[in-house]
Amino acid sequence: MARIQLKNIQKRWGHIYGVRDVNIDIADEEFLVLLGPSGCGKTTTMRMIAGLEDPSEGEILMDGEYMNDVDSRDRDVAMVFQGYALYPNMSIYENIRFPLRMRGVPKEEHDKLVREAADMVEMGDYLDRKPSALSGGQRQRAALARAVVRQPQVFLMDEPLSNLDAKLRQAMRIQIKHLQRQLKITSVYVTHDQIEALTLADRIVIMESGNIQQVGTPDEIYSDPANAFVAGFIGSPPMNLVEGVVKNNTFTSEGISIPKLDVNFDGPVKLGIRPEDCLVMNGGKKKAHLQGDVYAVEPTGDITYLTIRISGQNFEVKADRDYRAEPGKKETVLFDTDRLYFFDVKSGERIRS
Amino acid sequence: MASVRRKTGESLLIRYLILGTWALFCLMPVIWFLSIGLRSRVEIITPQPIYFPIFSLEAWWMIWEDWPMAKYLLNSVGAIFGSVVIDLILAIPAAYSLSRYNYRFREDIGFYILSTRMMAPAIVAIPIFFLFKNMGLLDSIWALMLIYAAINLSIVTWIIRSYMMDIPKELEDAARTDGASDMRILWEIITPAILPGIITAAVIAMIFAINEFLFTLLIASTPKGYTMSVALANFTGGSDGVIYNAIALVSFLAFVPVFIVVVLTQKHLSRGLTMGAVKG
Repeated sequence: MARIQLKNIQKRWGHIYGVRDVNIDIADEEFLVLLGPSGCGKTTTMRMIAGLEDPSEGEILMDGEYMNDVDSRDRDVAMVFQGYALYPNMSIYENIRFPLRMRGVPKEEHDKLVREAADMVEMGDYLDRKPSALSGGQRQRAALARAVVRQPQVFLMDEPLSNLDAKLRQAMRIQIKHLQRQLKITSVYVTHDQIEALTLADRIVIMESGNIQQVGTPDEIYSDPANAFVAGFIGSPPMNLVEGVVKNNTFTSEGISIPKLDVNFDGPVKLGIRPEDCLVMNGGKKKAHLQGDVYAVEPTGDITYLTIRISGQNFEVKADRDYRAEPGKKETVLFDTDRLYFFDVKSGERIRS
Repeated sequence: MASVRRKTGESLLIRYLILGTWALFCLMPVIWFLSIGLRSRVEIITPQPIYFPIFSLEAWWMIWEDWPMAKYLLNSVGAIFGSVVIDLILAIPAAYSLSRYNYRFREDIGFYILSTRMMAPAIVAIPIFFLFKNMGLLDSIWALMLIYAAINLSIVTWIIRSYMMDIPKELEDAARTDGASDMRILWEIITPAILPGIITAAVIAMIFAINEFLFTLLIASTPKGYTMSVALANFTGGSDGVIYNAIALVSFLAFVPVFIVVVLTQKHLSRGLTMGAVKG
């Protein structure tokens, strides 16, 4: 098993930075998720751990051993790809067996190991099939079996679920989490899907434009965002961010007024409030913090999403599932003032009081 | 539903009629060759139209008994088969390098390789003659093999390269993290995946090689090194004049091996020729 350390990792192509100043210490048996929008450098970071990409600067250590100049095939890592990357000319059995053959595992053990790995992901009945004769979910499970068959030190997954439909994705997510806990293999998982990140991860690394924005447990990332980017990226719908001014412990902006704030700063700020920390007052003006026109109401069954339009932007609120209103209706909202966040207008950094 | 079109016997008949006509049109030269080749000399040079031909095996016996046609056929098949093997052994690794490794002048090198194909063959004819003469390879099937391989290498490399570029990079990354070396990746992953492309390239090289005339004539000065295409030229001169039925029959014989190969590889060939078109 392995601990992975990335120290001051940079990756650039000419003058363009793909990854900048990345420092991550991944503990043995940890499940780490790299999360960010496309082009943020998360896949490049993973590919550097796999040895498929060389860092321009910095060190990659596995169990303290310097890995930069070790070839990909000599690092004991297994990788699962977004496009499954099964070998099309081989049966599923041969696909799963391929890493055993390449790494010189004694032949007598192959059959047992292949069948064990296939059974682990419930693919035992499909070993004779070619990849083209399988569905997307089955292909991804076969790819998982190929990755776990030789019990690697490190398990890397690059958006493994993004080609699957929503229902299958949830089932596979559970399977991956179970498998990782069962095998206790240090895992790095790349995704742009925050639900995958929050459900799977021991720790999440949020990246943007090649930089790490925050590293933390799912709880920390959700309840204690380091900056406006993280706040606006996590949550579904994400946190509402409204620019305004704090003066004499009162935050004001168009349509919003929050008095009696326990803050020790004045000036322009960005206010953050999650849709789930808002209470719809059904037009009652007493004590309400926000007042605006209903823009849209989206019932989803268990919850109703209410969108209010203020100062030219959408403000999302999670309302009770019975809530209904016509667009244009005046609505008022109360905030949970213990769960307000303030960010610097320019840098986006969190302002703590 | 507004209107449901069903396949009627009539529309099916029309379909077959059109396709049949087209097939006949394409096959006409072959049928014509065969009909000339299987008639006597007198009958084919007569100016009057003949409605009921009398078939004869005159030309057939002539080409086998008066000429070493079996030797020519063997030379053709041997030289062509050998050249295609040489081409594939060289082109597959070259194409892999040109499609996957990053190095300076990669694109230029690819272009230089193709540019050998742009040269008029006659320009290099004389130097090549002396080259092979000095190597003592004149009049030999080995020389033909090398010549055909050299002529087709560029096009084979380019065809295979274009197929390799369509292979997702993920496949190689997966093999590499699975512990495979570059050579293992090339032979166990890439080559099987582009088999239709390799077959397409091989068939095209074969067709070019069987039609090659200039260099064969140059290198092969006696029947020892003659191939079918050069043997054909023997029937156009000499004291016997132009022997049309022999020409037609030999042409037909040269067509048969290619035809067989194409039929055998048809499945891969059609997939190969359309692969780039249907894949998103």
